Amino acid sequence: MPQYKRATGRDIVHRWEGNPAITVSDLDFQCLDIRNAGATIYKGGIVLLVTVQHLSGCQYIHLAREEKNNRFVVETEPFLSPSLDPEYGVHESMGVLDPRIVNIKGTYYITYLTDGEHGYRLGLAKTKDFKTVERMGLISEPDMKAGTLFPKKVKGKYARLERPQEGSGIWISYSEDLIFWGDSEFLFPPRSGWDCSRIGIGPPPIEIDLGWLLIYYGAKDTSAGPLYRLGTAIIDKNDPTHIIGRCTVPVLAPREIYERIGNTPNSVFSTGALLKEDGTLVIFYGAADSCINIGTVSIQTIIESTMQEEAAF
Amino acid sequence: MNTYRRHSHRDLLHRWEGNPAITAEDIPFAVNTVFNGSPIVTPEAIYLLIRIEGMRGHSFFALARSTDGLHFTVDEKPAMLPETEGFFALYESNGIEDPRVTFLEDTCYIVYTAVGDFGHRIALAKTADYVHYERLGLISEPGNKDGILFPRKINGKYVRFDRPIGKGQGSIWISYSPDLKYWGESKVVIPPRGGYWDDYRVGASVPPIETPEGWLEIYHGVKMTSAGPIYRIGLALLDLDNPAKVIKRGDDPILSPREDYERIGDIPNVCFACGAVIGDNGAMKIYYGAADTSICIATTTLEELMTEGFGKT
Repeated sequence: MPQYKRATGRDIVHRWEGNPAITVSDLDFQCLDIRNAGATIYKGGIVLLVTVQHLSGCQYIHLAREEKNNRFVVETEPFLSPSLDPEYGVHESMGVLDPRIVNIKGTYYITYLTDGEHGYRLGLAKTKDFKTVERMGLISEPDMKAGTLFPKKVKGKYARLERPQEGSGIWISYSEDLIFWGDSEFLFPPRSGWDCSRIGIGPPPIEIDLGWLLIYYGAKDTSAGPLYRLGTAIIDKNDPTHIIGRCTVPVLAPREIYERIGNTPNSVFSTGALLKEDGTLVIFYGAADSCINIGTVSIQTIIESTMQEEAAF
Repeated sequence: MNTYRRHSHRDLLHRWEGNPAITAEDIPFAVNTVFNGSPIVTPEAIYLLIRIEGMRGHSFFALARSTDGLHFTVDEKPAMLPETEGFFALYESNGIEDPRVTFLEDTCYIVYTAVGDFGHRIALAKTADYVHYERLGLISEPGNKDGILFPRKINGKYVRFDRPIGKGQGSIWISYSPDLKYWGESKVVIPPRGGYWDDYRVGASVPPIETPEGWLEIYHGVKMTSAGPIYRIGLALLDLDNPAKVIKRGDDPILSPREDYERIGDIPNVCFACGAVIGDNGAMKIYYGAADTSICIATTTLEELMTEGFGKT
């Protein structure tokens, strides 16, 4: 095939030159595709929880450890499989996916999406050692997606971000005990432009001096299907409904071939990001629902782009 | 990327080997995509008035300059942005799209689509220096796009093609005006054809070309599939004195998406022409947007279109 002139343009997030970081050919088992990964640090190393669609079409969560230099080894046995327990099973019959990990005082809480006969719901599980995992409950009503815990209490309570189907915007809910949830409030909606059809939170909120930095996905439906891009917002620590800033342009948009071609073309979607001590934000993102990629950006740059006034064009 | 066998087959139009001619990387500022450009031919230069989709997701126009009609340099600043104040602002709040340039009575007119919260409308502007654009009016009801002016009055009236949606069907219509401001006597001219490559929607693409046999219209035809639309380019010939009368219509498309740059992008599988240039010897360059992500050039001759484009009868 001839090499055409690049059409990739410029994004605020820099793609790692080794992308795609994890593809199906890196696995020692067969599957349909590999999707979104939650990320955390465990015992000094990066651990990813990766969504894998098995050949049956059912989605499982597999653990991946960094070997070196952004190269990951994905475990053959699933870390979290759809439950066979009657209480959970009916809600997970088509899979568990899109895990977001937070570390609260040494316990790793995993908010994941369940796909079952009665609609999407949020599930919560916990682990201390990434060997055993314990389900804590199905914590949302149906038709709820894109949920993550905050890594700290907010207003003295556990808190989570979420995306109810109706309204297609991002909400916050609170809990005393991680089991019973309430005080749900609306945060911000889709708007005209690249994030006009649906939005939802990506990785867990990242604490910065200004507030909580949110990386969210914005979908724009077109006649050829949706385009999924990543954007950012900053919300107040004491009053999360106060939106301190929201990006006007996406920080990452599908442009490279591995983002444009796959089981869900034209999508970049993140459920995990890690802030390094040197101020580098490392974003793990799924592309085209077919591979895992790495993007980096300095936290200062992403804060500035979030707070930037709307440009003339 | 692997080297696959080419699938480009034979289309009546010849792709320029330098395609894609203009991509996001050629724009001096950050943009999402660039596509759909209409040529402006002056004694000194060939300009393209191009549609850019900004990072925010709203479109506007920029001027690309060339001397050969092939190699373009894009101006540092946009030529025409959506209006933010006054009467037009409400109807252009989501951008301006798909300019079509017609020289009529020695004035350079631009018909474009204004996109607002209440739908798409056709708008008319003019320019004397190709850098400053004066809005003349919003000349259609909502739900109409692909407006194109004929290059001369016919039977004492100004004439345009447009593309309203009636009963879900997108046909090419014709409308008339005594003054370019008030429009009426609208009629259906070219409807989609059941079972053909243009069975879902059609719209005028290139400003009508006057030939001894009739008005040659290079239009776009859409076939809807479960994977989204496929946009191709086709031909119709209309009566010189009564352009609402179709003399003949090509059975086959003259250009279909086949190359990677036509198949991969924000809207895959799109070839969408917005203008053509005809040299003294009948040599033609047709400018088309590819995959809503780049601008490409295809060549042919007027003679080839007239003799081969309607089938060998």
